Amino acid sequence: MTKDFLNNIKLGVFILASLSFLILLFYMIGKNRNFFGSNIKLKSRFENVQGLKSGNNVRYAGIDIGTVEKIEVVNDTVLEVEMIIENKMKKFIRNNSIVSIGTDGLVGNKVVNITSTKQNAPLIKENDILSSRRPVDTDEMLRTFSKTNNDISLIAKNLKKTTSDINKSSGLWKLLNDNAIPESIHSSLSNLHTASEQINKIIKNTNSIVDHIKSGNGPIGTVLYDTAFTQSIKNTLRDINKLSNSAITLSNEAKATVDNINDQLMNGKGTINKLLKDSITAENINISIQNIKKGSDGFNLNMEALKHSLLFRRYFKKIEKENKCKSEN
Amino acid sequence: MNNSVLVKSFFAEVGSLSRFSGKFLSMFFIPPYEISALFKQCYIIGYKSLPLVGLTGFIMGLVLTMQLRPFMIDYGVESQLPAIVGIAIIREIGPVITALIFAGKIGSSIGAELGSMKVTEQIDAMEVSGTNPFKYLVVSRVLAATFMLPVLAVLSDAISLYGSYLGVNIKGDTSFHFFWTQVFDSLEFRDVLPAFIKTYFFGFAVGIIGCYKGYFSSKGTEGVGKSANSAVVVSSIMIFILDLLAVQITDLLGFN
Repeated sequence: MTKDFLNNIKLGVFILASLSFLILLFYMIGKNRNFFGSNIKLKSRFENVQGLKSGNNVRYAGIDIGTVEKIEVVNDTVLEVEMIIENKMKKFIRNNSIVSIGTDGLVGNKVVNITSTKQNAPLIKENDILSSRRPVDTDEMLRTFSKTNNDISLIAKNLKKTTSDINKSSGLWKLLNDNAIPESIHSSLSNLHTASEQINKIIKNTNSIVDHIKSGNGPIGTVLYDTAFTQSIKNTLRDINKLSNSAITLSNEAKATVDNINDQLMNGKGTINKLLKDSITAENINISIQNIKKGSDGFNLNMEALKHSLLFRRYFKKIEKENKCKSEN
Repeated sequence: MNNSVLVKSFFAEVGSLSRFSGKFLSMFFIPPYEISALFKQCYIIGYKSLPLVGLTGFIMGLVLTMQLRPFMIDYGVESQLPAIVGIAIIREIGPVITALIFAGKIGSSIGAELGSMKVTEQIDAMEVSGTNPFKYLVVSRVLAATFMLPVLAVLSDAISLYGSYLGVNIKGDTSFHFFWTQVFDSLEFRDVLPAFIKTYFFGFAVGIIGCYKGYFSSKGTEGVGKSANSAVVVSSIMIFILDLLAVQITDLLGFN
């Protein structure tokens, strides 16, 4: 009896182990197929579902969140895809999200991708119809691929030619192999660096000078920015203008006077005119001058005679002595 | 002439097996029920078979994984190894291998046991003593086989999957959690349910054929060996026929 009881215990454990694995199996599958837990139903409309089947996964941002429940033909161009989504995703998906049909990997099962957009919108509700994006057509993709491939082959050909040209060019290789070039480039760069530093300094100085001038200091500053100085220059210029005007008047007057004198000289009856024009007067003057010369010659003789006279000899000798003393000193 | 005898005997065998099954069904519903005998048989048939079934299941999972790996690498889907091995084990390998091992162990033992009882006239003695030998011997064994094979098959699946996990990790590096996720992501109810239901039929076939062969064993020691042998052979063939039927029916019902 006890042995039978023990055997029954073993049997019970054996059967329960099996049963629990079976239940686990069913539960796991059911969980993956969204049979348990509360769900929300969403819809989307497509023109072509590209082989999507009920039971395919629905993904949001790459996470499996549900499955395709069924696909219905609404009319000749519209197919309605009904999806079962986990209820807990209700508070993340917005009703402006976009539904697209993609492939799991390159050749895998079809999946429905729900992509959120950046715009804000209310959250999804039961039986909402989300807008869809046209699925990528494999044929179209391959066509583009073939076009791209042609372009790439062309580019590769060009690249090949370019590289072979580069390989052939001895000058370029010489340039590349020359070890001195990097050094000279380096030194040039350092020179450039110093030059730019100098330029920097100059610019800085210039800046300070300009600032100085702007602030109205120094002669240039005064010239450029002092309003009082400008006013005085204006005044000066006005005075100069006046002066030159009066100079013009003066010169005009002088000219008139000179003209008048000239006219008087040439045509008048005055003494000077007579002196200049009358030949008789000139002769008279000539005679007079000859007479004066004769008179002064006679006077010279008289004076010489006076020096030698007794009365005046002492005076002359005294003058001679004084002159002598001055020259000696 | 010889051929026609063979054909006739074949049909006769099928007919008497059907009658035997019908008798089992009628006896199954009529009280009194031999509950304690059923539990005893469950213990012997189910629990005692677990080590053998577990070992074969473990080795099948391991070997299948290692055998599939090179081809999966050729096709560039090495990462799908757990998924494909999981589906193979749950759908086909687990139920069928378990049923075959079960037929080898239980079918032969039932056939030999009942055969020797028949030969030594214990069954007749039972009838004389007032116990219904069919109820006590056949119904309990067939029921035990019917109910224990699914249990064994499920446990064998679990052990096979563990073997497969070890097989994946011989040359790869997959965490148990990831292996688990990959297996269950690829599984669906239509993989599990038909496979689970068909094991009841396998178990019933093994039990009823073993009992039939033993119950109608020919006289002599030779007869015991013959009935044990033919019990294993016929039940194994029956398992494959039932498997074929099961896949066709699930296909028809759209579960495949």
